Amino acid sequence: MSVTTDSAPPPVQNPRARRPTRRAPGPLGFIWSSTVMAWRWITRMRTALYLLGIIALQTALATAIPQEPNVPTTVAAWRAGEEGPGVIASQVIDAIGGFDVYGSAAFLALLLLLYLSLTACMVPRVRAWIRLVRHSQPPLVRHLTGQPEQAHLVTDRQPAQVHAQAQQLLQGRRWRLRPHEPDDAATHPVADGGLATRPTPAQVAAEKGLWSREGGSLLFHLSFYVLLIAIVLGQLLTFEGQRGVIEGEPGFHDTAISYWSYNPGRWFSEDDHHGWRLDLDAFEVDWVRDPLAPGAGQPTVFRSEVTVTPRDGEPEAAVIDSNRPLMIDGRRVTQLDWGYAPRVVVEVDGQVVHDGFIQAVVNQRGGFFESAVKSPAADPDIGHRAWFYPFAPPDEDGNPIPTGAPWDDAPLLVLEQWRGDLQLGASQQTVNQLDTEGMESEGPLALRVGQTVEHEGVTVSFPEVRRWVGFQVASRPQLNWLVFGAGLLVAGLIPALYAYRRRLWVVASHDHATGRTLVTVAGRAFQRPEAFEEELRDIAEELADATGGELLPADGIPTTDDPASDDAPRPTPDGDDATTDRRDPDDDDDDLVISDRRSDVLPTPVRSGSSPTR
Amino acid sequence: MDASQLADLSRVLYFPTTVMLYLASAFTYLYALTTTVGRRDEQRRGHRARLIGGALAITGIGTHVAHEIVRGLAQNRLPLGNMFEVTSLMALVGVVVGLVYLQFIRKQPELHGFVMLGGSLVLGMAMLVYADPGPLMPILDTWWRTFHVSLLVGAMGIFTAAFIFMGLYLLRDTAELAVADARVRPGGGSTVGAAHVGDLEVDGATTPGSADGDDELERAQAAEYRAALRAGVPTVKLAVWTFVVTGSVSWVWWFADGWGTAGLGRFLTVNLTMVAAALLARWFVPYLPSTATLDGLAHRTVAFGFVMWTVGTIAGAMWAEVSWGRFWGWDPKETGAFLTWIAYAGYLHARATRGVQGRKAAWIGIGAFVVLMATYLIANYVIVGLHSYAEL
Ligand code: HEM
Repeated sequence: MSVTTDSAPPPVQNPRARRPTRRAPGPLGFIWSSTVMAWRWITRMRTALYLLGIIALQTALATAIPQEPNVPTTVAAWRAGEEGPGVIASQVIDAIGGFDVYGSAAFLALLLLLYLSLTACMVPRVRAWIRLVRHSQPPLVRHLTGQPEQAHLVTDRQPAQVHAQAQQLLQGRRWRLRPHEPDDAATHPVADGGLATRPTPAQVAAEKGLWSREGGSLLFHLSFYVLLIAIVLGQLLTFEGQRGVIEGEPGFHDTAISYWSYNPGRWFSEDDHHGWRLDLDAFEVDWVRDPLAPGAGQPTVFRSEVTVTPRDGEPEAAVIDSNRPLMIDGRRVTQLDWGYAPRVVVEVDGQVVHDGFIQAVVNQRGGFFESAVKSPAADPDIGHRAWFYPFAPPDEDGNPIPTGAPWDDAPLLVLEQWRGDLQLGASQQTVNQLDTEGMESEGPLALRVGQTVEHEGVTVSFPEVRRWVGFQVASRPQLNWLVFGAGLLVAGLIPALYAYRRRLWVVASHDHATGRTLVTVAGRAFQRPEAFEEELRDIAEELADATGGELLPADGIPTTDDPASDDAPRPTPDGDDATTDRRDPDDDDDDLVISDRRSDVLPTPVRSGSSPTR
Repeated sequence: MDASQLADLSRVLYFPTTVMLYLASAFTYLYALTTTVGRRDEQRRGHRARLIGGALAITGIGTHVAHEIVRGLAQNRLPLGNMFEVTSLMALVGVVVGLVYLQFIRKQPELHGFVMLGGSLVLGMAMLVYADPGPLMPILDTWWRTFHVSLLVGAMGIFTAAFIFMGLYLLRDTAELAVADARVRPGGGSTVGAAHVGDLEVDGATTPGSADGDDELERAQAAEYRAALRAGVPTVKLAVWTFVVTGSVSWVWWFADGWGTAGLGRFLTVNLTMVAAALLARWFVPYLPSTATLDGLAHRTVAFGFVMWTVGTIAGAMWAEVSWGRFWGWDPKETGAFLTWIAYAGYLHARATRGVQGRKAAWIGIGAFVVLMATYLIANYVIVGLHSYAEL
């Protein structure tokens, strides 16, 4: 007999957790039992909750502490004690990997644990779900009075007709029906608590949301694997390079050596570059210039007009806007930053030792741009620290007043001249920094565009100023997969939260007293019972309409059922979601329902279709 | 009308018009809540109050929407560009969703009083960061941004409503536990409570006072039970806890002012307002619906907000890829969004796990809201990341 009876013990909530560990003696036994214990710990959902909590704490840490990959200069300042809580605190932070939380071993270990826990949780859930989808069907009910929601109607149609009508109606409302069985077949006697034998009433059994809710939750969690794989593969396959380009000057080729900053993934080879060429024709930038206008000083345009030349093709003009990157051969080109590029010519003894554009970058606090001019061709070396003030109009006496405004209507270039050893190649320095260790200052000089100044035997001129743009070229083959994973996540999340699990039965029986047919629509909601109340009444009304019957008022219901079942366990009224750790969707069923429940979850040899209730 | 007149109009529509309408609606609704246990004539008055509260709420929402439109016209862009606009819109979303949900779906409009009160408080806080209408950085002005920000702002509004429900749930639960405790303790407390739990459930079918004359006694007992419920929530503890929880977020204002006096003023204003709101809510504890209802409300709202937050965060990553050339960089705001997501996922898990339901889940939910608010404020005030556009 494959049907479960009232006397059967309730399903064990989590059999795995209750099984005692069989412990072999000796160290192997110890390892074995520890492994089993660790596995049990990791499969608990509460563990996942703790792990999420710890990840949250780490993330909080990453919000509060500057992260090296994001703001390396701030982190350097923290380490040096110039900013932040001081050197010692910074050392402590370093020791726990706090400056690079997402690259730290602790974070990776936690992520691993989380995925392990996820896997441990998912495997049985997926298996149970597949079994549910393949084998389960809406269970039959014996005691309708045990069901929390009920409606009653009377009609003059025959019970079998009512059942057929109900099936049609429920099908139209997208309920999943128990395969139709002839009414007489369903009245097989069933053991009742091992004490009596009672018939199961002929009925229509239906359910809704059992697959989709759990299925959605599974899809949601499984999408984490897609995301993880996409992120890991992305790390390997991606490529990101940056390069600054000055307006009108030669641009760069898409080759490994031409990028200033070059971050290929491990599986990205230099042959994967396409070799096209990009030149910057013009860079347009503007601001709200009226100081009294709302939003004064805010930028309004960032737009690069570029020319792209494929390796063997014709040059083509294109535009890169702040929110419109340019796609070249599957590479995405975005503007990362920009600055002014003054051209500086340095002459010593009539000899040109420097003639070129310097790429001045905006100062952290804004208002001016900084760079350096290095002239190693001079002997001894000459260097200039450079400050570029884009808008420094003259006052009445003709002295420049730097304003901090970023538009170059009255540009002023201030240089501080140094002589000595530039230490090129001998010390760490960027193109924008001057290492003055081995040099002596020879004082400042200031230049307007087109001016030439003689300073300490050096002739410096400032013929023009242009702009430069820092471009990023990126290849991210993982993006489509990430979008796919995110799509799965959302597609799973919505049914996981919004598919409500419900069961419903329609039982029509002949009432000998009146000669009419008495119909009971009974149901149970596992989530949001208050919404189900209405739905059930709707269904009952529709059924009454369809069968020419009338709905009975909620009280004054004729009880044709076993009154003893009234003290049957009711579902917990509180909360919308009375779900359990183990996600056996049937766990909450009271045992008044004759169901294939055990076989839903634990297939038994008997369930080969020989059930008499089918 | 020129832009500055429009700006003035939008300001007036915001304050005092909308704020006052919200407050008036909140108090009318709350009055209606107290009548649900009264005599029949009181209930009739309560019914009228509910209608008036609803009318005030709808008028307030109307002026709020008008404010948003006029502001949008004044600056010729969607009002989603700075903290003031985001906070104001967050309140609007919370209030609209609360109204639709409680009035039309749950059919418990009195409860909307708390949402309106929360909405008024959020509007008041938005005034702390008021900014005149102005243009948006062009790099921000895209369809992506609109999509991303409106989803996240909507979710914040919904999470705010959920926070209110969780707070009320905890209050009511504390009160009920205290009363139950008093009954169990030998010789302690009164015994009247037991019979009347049902009477006080707004959503219960019981209508006390159905026969005006003969149940004076019963009503006296009900009043006593209400007093016991209220007494069950310790005032000082509630005030201190509210101060601590609010302070765990509002210190950011003080900090952002370099621990100056203006910042201290804001810190205290916000904290004390929240304490006052908590004490007000305490007074209404006896009239609250059952803990199960409040818990369910909180869960449904969080679930809705969680979906919006998820989609909004994904949209943000897509926008970042388009705009900055990287989809995720652990920028403080991105980190904050992730943290908030994890925190609310923690709440949903807790709700789904047996043994962590009820109070513990509610506390996790409150913690999640603290995380949301703290990361929002910290990312805006303390840390200058890409999202604050200090430079391109
Ligand atoms: C890492 C291990 C994880 C495990 C073992 C796990 C396990 C579970 C389980 C068993 C449920 C079903 C609860 C129920 O309704 O009965 C669930 C639901 C849920 N999980 Fe996870 N989860 C994990 C990670 C995550 C993460 C990282 C998130 C998102 C941040 C998440 C979000 C959710 C959500 C939103 C639900 C609610 C769905 C519902 O209410 O049915 N989970 N999780």
